[in-house]
Amino acid sequence: MRGRRPTRTLGWLITGAGLAAGAALWEIAGRRMGAAFVAPLSDTIEALTPAVWRALASSLGLFAAGFALSVAVGVPFGLLLARVRLLRIALENYIAILNATPMAALIPFILSMMGFDFAPKVLVVFLFAVFPILYNTVEGARSIRPELIEVARSFRSSERALWRDVLLPFVLPFALTGIRQAIGRALVGMVAAEFFLSASGIGMILQSASQSFDTATIFAAILLVTLLGVLLMELGLWIERRYAAWRNIQ
Amino acid sequence: MTAGTPALNVGSGALARFGSSTPVVKLAAGAVLLLVWELGVRAWAPAYVARPSGVVAVLPSVITSGAFLSAAAATLGSVLEGLAIALVLGIAVGIAMGRSFVVDRLIRYYVFGLFAMPMVAILPLITLWFGYTDAARLATTVFAAFFSIVLNAADGARAVPPEYLEVGRSFRAARLRVLGDIVLPASMPYLLAGIRLAAARALIGAVVAEFFISVNGLGFFILFNSRSFRHNQAMVAVMVLAGCGVGFEALVNWVTRRYFPWYRRDEKAR
Repeated sequence: MRGRRPTRTLGWLITGAGLAAGAALWEIAGRRMGAAFVAPLSDTIEALTPAVWRALASSLGLFAAGFALSVAVGVPFGLLLARVRLLRIALENYIAILNATPMAALIPFILSMMGFDFAPKVLVVFLFAVFPILYNTVEGARSIRPELIEVARSFRSSERALWRDVLLPFVLPFALTGIRQAIGRALVGMVAAEFFLSASGIGMILQSASQSFDTATIFAAILLVTLLGVLLMELGLWIERRYAAWRNIQ
Repeated sequence: MTAGTPALNVGSGALARFGSSTPVVKLAAGAVLLLVWELGVRAWAPAYVARPSGVVAVLPSVITSGAFLSAAAATLGSVLEGLAIALVLGIAVGIAMGRSFVVDRLIRYYVFGLFAMPMVAILPLITLWFGYTDAARLATTVFAAFFSIVLNAADGARAVPPEYLEVGRSFRAARLRVLGDIVLPASMPYLLAGIRLAAARALIGAVVAEFFISVNGLGFFILFNSRSFRHNQAMVAVMVLAGCGVGFEALVNWVTRRYFPWYRRDEKAR
């Protein structure tokens, strides 16, 4: 950075100006190009009806169910892989492959096999979210130097002490990184599931609004999902920083 | 966990020796997974559900069929084109954000917000703007890829060691040359992490866009075949998509290791 360091207040002033300019641009673009093409900010805010908020709450329920399931499965299984080296070696490549596979491609299979219940939608969110958790946990397990475990062994460390002093400190930060990445993916999975399986929540609002060319409601739904995404990702970052501060030291 | 778990028996006994012949373990595990899939489907699932033997049986006819090849070309072409566009624009915006305090503060919340936005949600808007066309799919891939490149390019540009810039300044390098010859190369490792993520997101973007707008491509191939209960055929397309995902990741990791060996990957990838 050249020159003297800009102050904090100046930073916030510029940020505020940027946000205001963006909002103004949005409003002007909407009025110029026609509300059917770009809904102005004012129309978008008007379109934030109780129905849209209720839809968001319902989507959030789906997110919570799928995400909780992926954490409940991903973290214990990841820890098992960290502890049982043979199992980790056997499965790590397959986990990496599944992590790189676009899970969205499996939605049509799930649709034709499981139909339109709540369960297939939870499965979609789960599939989107579980592999980043597993993948990162395995990375954490690989980062444990074998000598550490050997030393623990030579000092007749108990299983409990081994977990507390070696395994968890190494694996947990990676698991948290995985959980943070999983949040973003689960959000995509949530909207995709509501879009392509039985329509519900925000996905249904988006579908019906786009069929009736109700641009303002489309914008309102997108705005809410985006705010939700930012909120959840910030939460993930915060948790990661709070509980995994030692990762970068190593 | 009981005794007999091999993790701790490093360097002792037959188990450890077995564990060190890793390719055997990996292949055996793969065989077991395929077997579980095959038997599971045979035992509990309807006949149309994809299973390994069925996929192998249809593989030759699918990968030589014109419909499949044109679908694969359409999807991958769109992903690559979208990545290229996102890369050029994303590097420009990202470096501007990383090197200029004002630009960063002006747009950071918009960039972060659009990065966090699930790209599926924007499909109705994109079809409104671009119609149900190839252009809509391209726009989706660009949108999906752009923001992760911006964020990582900005992180990279921010992390350029100040000494490099001082050298540039002492030699009176022009501002643009500093950006092109110092900042850009120095932020490459971050950029590569961004590209890796962007490619994965663009692939998902292309698939969901094809589901939604029904244009020719692997996503639509999967949708069409699974609707007509030809899951084995559809699974071939999933495998190709998975192959692209894995292949691209491997390529980026290889480039990172080969040309930027000091950089620990994954550290900063968003």
